[in-house]
Amino acid sequence: MSPLNNSSPLTTHVLNTGDGLPAVRMPISLHRLDPHMTLWNLITVGTTNEDGRCPGLITSDGFTPGTYKMRFETGQYWESLGQGSFYPYVEIVFTITDAEQKLHLPLLLSRYSYNTYRGS
Amino acid sequence: MNRLKLINDHILSGEKNMAMPATLLSPLTTHVLNIAKGVPGANMTISLYRLDPVSSVWNEITTGLTNDDGRCLGLITKDTFIAGVYKMRFETEKYWNALGEISFYPFVEVVFTVNDPSQKYHVPLLLSRFSYSTYRGS
Repeated sequence: MSPLNNSSPLTTHVLNTGDGLPAVRMPISLHRLDPHMTLWNLITVGTTNEDGRCPGLITSDGFTPGTYKMRFETGQYWESLGQGSFYPYVEIVFTITDAEQKLHLPLLLSRYSYNTYRGS
Repeated sequence: MNRLKLINDHILSGEKNMAMPATLLSPLTTHVLNIAKGVPGANMTISLYRLDPVSSVWNEITTGLTNDDGRCLGLITKDTFIAGVYKMRFETEKYWNALGEISFYPFVEVVFTVNDPSQKYHVPLLLSRFSYSTYRGS
């Protein structure tokens, strides 16, 4: 994991709403869109901790305006619990226009539904 | 006139119109709801793709526009609805821009697995400018 502590301006929180628990050990990755080449550049990979969080996603300097994608390996997660799921993975694509102070991007997830919002 | 069209769309989407040939009724449906305003998400561009398992390329199946009720009929036919991984792409930013508003999400893509194509699959999108949710419905 990155040596960064919880000073990342971008945070997430994955909750298993089917079981009412944090989603633990879910692989996630953060990508930024390269506007010239229209491809996604990988910024960081991580795994959610016991609280469903993943500290150290990005540095303040690195969190420049642009289009980002957070990918959650939800299918793998449900498989590790011995269950199937409707979604093989979840990707959330979002836009940063200014150097925002803090951005919280949670994922509320069950086997057949998910919900996300821009939080703080 | 609008009300008649709304009822007509309801009937078609509910697949209760017995005069419609079965092949025209899509086994995959969607419904876009603008939960910020409490109205259907009308005139939103939607595209449906299927993943080619060999090449890992997304092949476009259809593109359409949601109607006044936030639905998009005729997404796929029963014949072409095979088991596999599908993606529904919603042009959310264009939708909000047309309403004179910004959007946090440039688009929303929902990727889902169809294991049993004999079943009906309903993939709605409940949307505001800063949040969305989806679920497998009926």
